[in-house]
Amino acid sequence: MGKPTVGLFGLTGCAGDQLVILNCEDQLLDLVGALDIRDFLMASSDNDVQCDLDLALVEGAVLSKRDEEKLIRIRQRSKALMAVGTCAVWGGVAAMDRALDRAKLLRDIYGEQGAQYDSLPARALHEVVKVDLNLAGCPIEKEQFLSAVSNLLNGDPPILPEYPVCAECRMREYNCLLIEKGQVCCGPLTLAGCGARCPGLGIPCVGCRGPADDANVASALTMFGEKGIPREAIAAKLRTFAPMSGDRS
Amino acid sequence: MTTKIQVEHLARVEGHGGITVELDGSAVTAVRFDIFEGARLLEGLVRGRSYEDISQILSRICAICSVAHSLTSLKATEAALEVKVSPQTDLLRDLLYRGESIQSHALHLFCLALPDYLNYPSVTALAGDHLDAVTLGLRMKKLGNSIQETLGGRAVHPVNAVLGGFGKLPSTDQLIALREGLLQGMVDTETAIELLASLPAADFCHSETVFAALRSPGQHGYYLGDEIIVRSNGLRRSVPAAEYRSLTNERAVPGSHAKHSALNGRPLMVGALARLSINREGLSAGAAAALERLGLTLPSDNPMDNNKAQAVELVHDVERALATVERLLEEGLNEERCVPVPPRAGTGTAATEAPRGLLIHSYTYDDAGRIVAADVITPTALNAASIEDHLRRTVEQSPDQDVAALTKKLEMIARAYDPCISCSVHLLQRHHAA
Repeated sequence: MGKPTVGLFGLTGCAGDQLVILNCEDQLLDLVGALDIRDFLMASSDNDVQCDLDLALVEGAVLSKRDEEKLIRIRQRSKALMAVGTCAVWGGVAAMDRALDRAKLLRDIYGEQGAQYDSLPARALHEVVKVDLNLAGCPIEKEQFLSAVSNLLNGDPPILPEYPVCAECRMREYNCLLIEKGQVCCGPLTLAGCGARCPGLGIPCVGCRGPADDANVASALTMFGEKGIPREAIAAKLRTFAPMSGDRS
Repeated sequence: MTTKIQVEHLARVEGHGGITVELDGSAVTAVRFDIFEGARLLEGLVRGRSYEDISQILSRICAICSVAHSLTSLKATEAALEVKVSPQTDLLRDLLYRGESIQSHALHLFCLALPDYLNYPSVTALAGDHLDAVTLGLRMKKLGNSIQETLGGRAVHPVNAVLGGFGKLPSTDQLIALREGLLQGMVDTETAIELLASLPAADFCHSETVFAALRSPGQHGYYLGDEIIVRSNGLRRSVPAAEYRSLTNERAVPGSHAKHSALNGRPLMVGALARLSINREGLSAGAAAALERLGLTLPSDNPMDNNKAQAVELVHDVERALATVERLLEEGLNEERCVPVPPRAGTGTAATEAPRGLLIHSYTYDDAGRIVAADVITPTALNAASIEDHLRRTVEQSPDQDVAALTKKLEMIARAYDPCISCSVHLLQRHHAA
């Protein structure tokens, strides 16, 4: 079997996940050697924009008609599509407070002509097309990306955590910022994979990796309540990187 | 006869943009540096958010400049809330900022720009024939990232730089590891300058240019300072950061996005070349030698020289970062806590130098420390008019109008600015509306 054909794409975002890939300095040349990268606009001016792809890696959120059309086209030409980064997986920072009046925001920031921009409320990829794999993180973790790609190259599914940051934090025996200091830490509800980086630095988790499937929400809410942290405070934090289920697009 | 030269998707830059030039015979009738990024409306979305959340949210404007956005955000909030951080915090922030500059310049010079000079479509294609050059670039890039990881907690969207100071200070072992990397960096930057000095000249656009940069007299630094200098051909104007709006009073020009800046109605160029033109006296010895070796004369009238200017800064930043790390190892770090930052009402503006030029954040907070208004002016937005001006001159100054050759030159000019299009979207769209 030949090398898998791969495309790397960015919709609207900060390009941070593509940057993390380019930051794999020690593995970059092996990585591009193991893959047949056909389309990677951020790194190459010679791209095949038509060919079929075994795997499309897509970062960023859908924020315009242009993004939407581009994503649909990427989906059509790809056997598998991986959402890369919190914007692609959840909508990211642009999706916070999706219930706000977007037309008004456009007017406030860009003046009257803002209404004419190609601008849609932020959506995650799965709200537009079928997504086969999710790699969350704002930005993604280098090691997780490399391990996911290695697994895929071996024909295995990537192994990604479903438990919360809290579990990683305890395994590393960091001091609990929530219980010991009463700080608003999103660790109990946020997807692991970062090695509890922020709590390890004495900084509360801001939830940049989006919600964890395996989180014990009831217990976390009780814990926040016991610490006198209002539900709205934790909701505002969590909403920063992933829209709450109540915030419709 | 009308001709249209179009680069639909500009490759090897951050974000999504394109170039369009229209000609009637040999006369240029329209020049556009187009932006295709969706509007994320972050300045609107942060309204009502606590001052404690702002730097984490607004760093997401851009990944390559995420240290710049984070630190500028912290500086603006601390100014608004009238908080003064310790000299040690200032020194560590300066070091973190240099880490970003090393990473960003190495990425731009070796992975994005170098393929143009040697006629390859990408850095990976380049690696096939010039493996040493690529591994050299990647090693310097990694050095910048290791500084960002040590001080910022991670390389993209730093978490460890917070209001009032740092979450956790670097350990002696971490500083020793950085020193080792920087010593190798001293050797690597020397090799890099020799390599870059051997490249074919990129000499196809000349114009007297107006430069703007944050004044940093002793250090040629990126973080400290509150005075913006605008200079051109003997003229020099000082603008306090708080009056930044006088630099950005743009208006649209038909057929172009050209903004009219404050100095004689001519567009401003920001970035490495502007910084060297304004802060040259602060360069380290090695950087001053690199400037000579690259044959860079200041002020330059060739926008392609921004690449050389970034190379000079690469030398300078490695040298300055090494001096800082050695000083920290010698004197030891004070195990100080962050300065407390209680909420209060106020307005604060901060200017710093992102790798690609002047960056401004300006915020107003209410009594409870909730943000009432946020304004962000990014370097690529400031550069947009200048990019268009230089694209126009490139076409006008080309002896022949061969479309393929011209297209490559246009791409190289735009790329020399190291544009960061995610960053630029805000002002450009507002500018479209003007």
